[in-house]
Amino acid sequence: MVSNNVLIGTVGYHLLRNHSVGPILLPQLNAKAWNEQVSIEEMNWGPIAIVQYFQTLEIPFDRVIFLVALERQERKIGDISVYQWLGKLPDEQQIQACVGDAATGVISVENLLVIGEFFKIWPKEVFLVDVEPGPEQAGEHLTDEVKDKIPEILRILEELTLDGEVLMETEKLQGDTLFEE
Amino acid sequence: MCFKNLPIAFDDEGNAYLKEGLKDPYEHKVVDLGEEQEVLKGLLERNGFIRNIDYDPVTRVAGALAFHSVVDLEKKKVLSTNSMATLFRGYEVILKGRDPRDAAYISSRACGVCGGVHATTAALAIEMALDIKPPPLGIVMRNILLAIEYLYDHPLHLFLLAGPDYSEELVRETNPELIDKAAETKAKNKDVHGYDTVLDIMKDLNPLKGKLYLEALSMTRVAREAYVLIGGKYPHPQSVVPGGLSVTVTASVLNEVYSRLIKFFDYSQKVTGIWDDVFDFFLESNPEYAKCGIRPATMMDTGVWDRPDHYDASFANCDKWGEARWSTPGVLVDGEVVTTKLTELNAGIEEFVEHSYYEKWDGHRFKEDANGMPLSPNHPWNKETIPKPGKQSWKDRYSWDTAPTWDRMPMEAGAYTRMYMTAKAQKAPASKFLENTGTSMKIKVPKHFLPEKTLEWKIPEHWNAFERNRARAYCIPYSAMVAMENWLLAMDLIKNGETKVSVPYEIPKKGTHIGFGAWGAGRGFLTHHLIVENGVIENYQIITPSTLNAAPRTPWGEMGPYEEAVLNTPILEKFDKPEDYKGIDILRAIRSFDPCMPCTTHIMAKDSDHMVTREVTTCACGVE
Repeated sequence: MVSNNVLIGTVGYHLLRNHSVGPILLPQLNAKAWNEQVSIEEMNWGPIAIVQYFQTLEIPFDRVIFLVALERQERKIGDISVYQWLGKLPDEQQIQACVGDAATGVISVENLLVIGEFFKIWPKEVFLVDVEPGPEQAGEHLTDEVKDKIPEILRILEELTLDGEVLMETEKLQGDTLFEE
Repeated sequence: MCFKNLPIAFDDEGNAYLKEGLKDPYEHKVVDLGEEQEVLKGLLERNGFIRNIDYDPVTRVAGALAFHSVVDLEKKKVLSTNSMATLFRGYEVILKGRDPRDAAYISSRACGVCGGVHATTAALAIEMALDIKPPPLGIVMRNILLAIEYLYDHPLHLFLLAGPDYSEELVRETNPELIDKAAETKAKNKDVHGYDTVLDIMKDLNPLKGKLYLEALSMTRVAREAYVLIGGKYPHPQSVVPGGLSVTVTASVLNEVYSRLIKFFDYSQKVTGIWDDVFDFFLESNPEYAKCGIRPATMMDTGVWDRPDHYDASFANCDKWGEARWSTPGVLVDGEVVTTKLTELNAGIEEFVEHSYYEKWDGHRFKEDANGMPLSPNHPWNKETIPKPGKQSWKDRYSWDTAPTWDRMPMEAGAYTRMYMTAKAQKAPASKFLENTGTSMKIKVPKHFLPEKTLEWKIPEHWNAFERNRARAYCIPYSAMVAMENWLLAMDLIKNGETKVSVPYEIPKKGTHIGFGAWGAGRGFLTHHLIVENGVIENYQIITPSTLNAAPRTPWGEMGPYEEAVLNTPILEKFDKPEDYKGIDILRAIRSFDPCMPCTTHIMAKDSDHMVTREVTTCACGVE
């Protein structure tokens, strides 16, 4: 059952194999029969533009889910982590750096989260479905490790669109520790 | 006779020839930078006030720029500078062997702001190489599209990237003595911007919270909306193609564009008023600020915005259609116009790699252009991009940027050069909105909510960080009025039924075809030099404004524009202990150029065609 207004957004550069999991799966996400209150969008068009888009929404989203691929330590290629964004902001200099990157074309979900938080556009529930891509490679297709995980990625996204409290286990992500090495 | 250093002379009929009797006409001196480094090393060891100050990365610029300086904090003087582009991108390598039609789409990705500019420049290069002339509406709409792109880019630079350097928060930290003075200084342009004192303006320049900062963000939206009406999307337009545009233009589309464009009429008045007030305040408070980022007005620009009745894409006529542009191409040496001819501008360009991570190429395939003008082996049509990553050394190689020169002189590029050159040369055709006086550019801004006003940008006595930014502010009305003039032309064309926006063309499968595209980005001109051989790209060379501005030393030891501007910058920041020093003056100098490093350096394909590896040397620790 779905009653929330949910957005699934893909963020990531194109043509970087597993790093492009969002853009590569976008056609599949669009083709899937979601509940009518689920919207699918590519969200690569700049955090500032996304802030401006959210600010003009007549009916705000209740839940936003980003599909991304970020290289993290101690994960195997294709491992899927689900993060819940807890908000909080880094220092102003870091926010400025995020805005600078955003305004000059850098595609980064971290920048998007921080800028969205600063401009208070995020609903109470923001999730990241984050697939381990492994080292960056050029190419149009996913590797077999990630390709094999597509059904699981879709299942997780579907579960996150369901009404009510999210019961799956999530890790936490917040702006004030996002850029710590 | 425009060339003083290259071996090119002209006969009585103005035909260029290579000077005779020279054993190696393009020979150049290579200076050992080691000596200077040894002197600095000694100073650093002996004097505790002399410090290495590294900005890595330089923040609030687009992309990866690092800057190394040696500063005497007692004498408040910069002793040495090195500008480092820390990323290799390799679009030249990526484009090799591809269908020329790919160039506009691929080269667009060189930048996340000015993708449309790269796409257009690529289209122009192909048009020249393959003799393709776009129809009038295609030319005019391309002008509007790119003028609008500047209306995105200029506010971004003025309020998000460079602007915070003049904000109350930053000035309070670095020069608190100016705060009380700013509170007492009445703003001269209150009638257009509404601020009572300079401090009121500076407060609204504060990053993230200031109203001017936030307003600039919202104006970037207005410009983007107008842009996508023509380009389809931003920053990488889908509609820019050789031979025009692949979009249907109707009166309705133009009206949609107009409804956004007029918002820049009042904004132009406001922004120029604001920056005049802020910069006049700094320069009047301490005349030493005039030395911040100072260097001679030795600059070049290829011009931009083609006249539909002149542009035919040909090399043969490029001097004529170039001079007819709404901004005049040319070279300024120490503020004086040396040439306004695109052929001379093109022939004078060379790129050197002695202090860059590239190998020198062999060969001198194109010894002259189609008119017989001699071309150096270092000219972009002759250059090859051969990356050679290595150890960073101030004595040897320290940047992924090359050292471009014109007539063997490092050149500066900027949107302001576009205005400086046009105002000074007085060659641009008559305009409804623009008047070039030789010492200034008058820009008639029509009324919107504010009454009509003629703004006047005057060529400054000293070319410094403040004047670069001030001129950039005036580039907003300049760009808006060129867009307006082209909008009127577009309406006339549609009214007359001239609705064609592109022409068909074919890629010849045989033969060699060469061309170059020359256009402008928000931060200065760029060129794409192209060789098509048997239907595919044989060589592609990109020079961008930041390629010129961020250049390392020339082989003969001359500094690049950032390096020179910073070396000339006095340290006016107030600090008690060296540890408190923030380096704001140096940062103001660098940021006034609006560095955009994504374009500058040319992700590297290492060992294979598929593996993208970032070769990044961002730490200057331990560098020789």
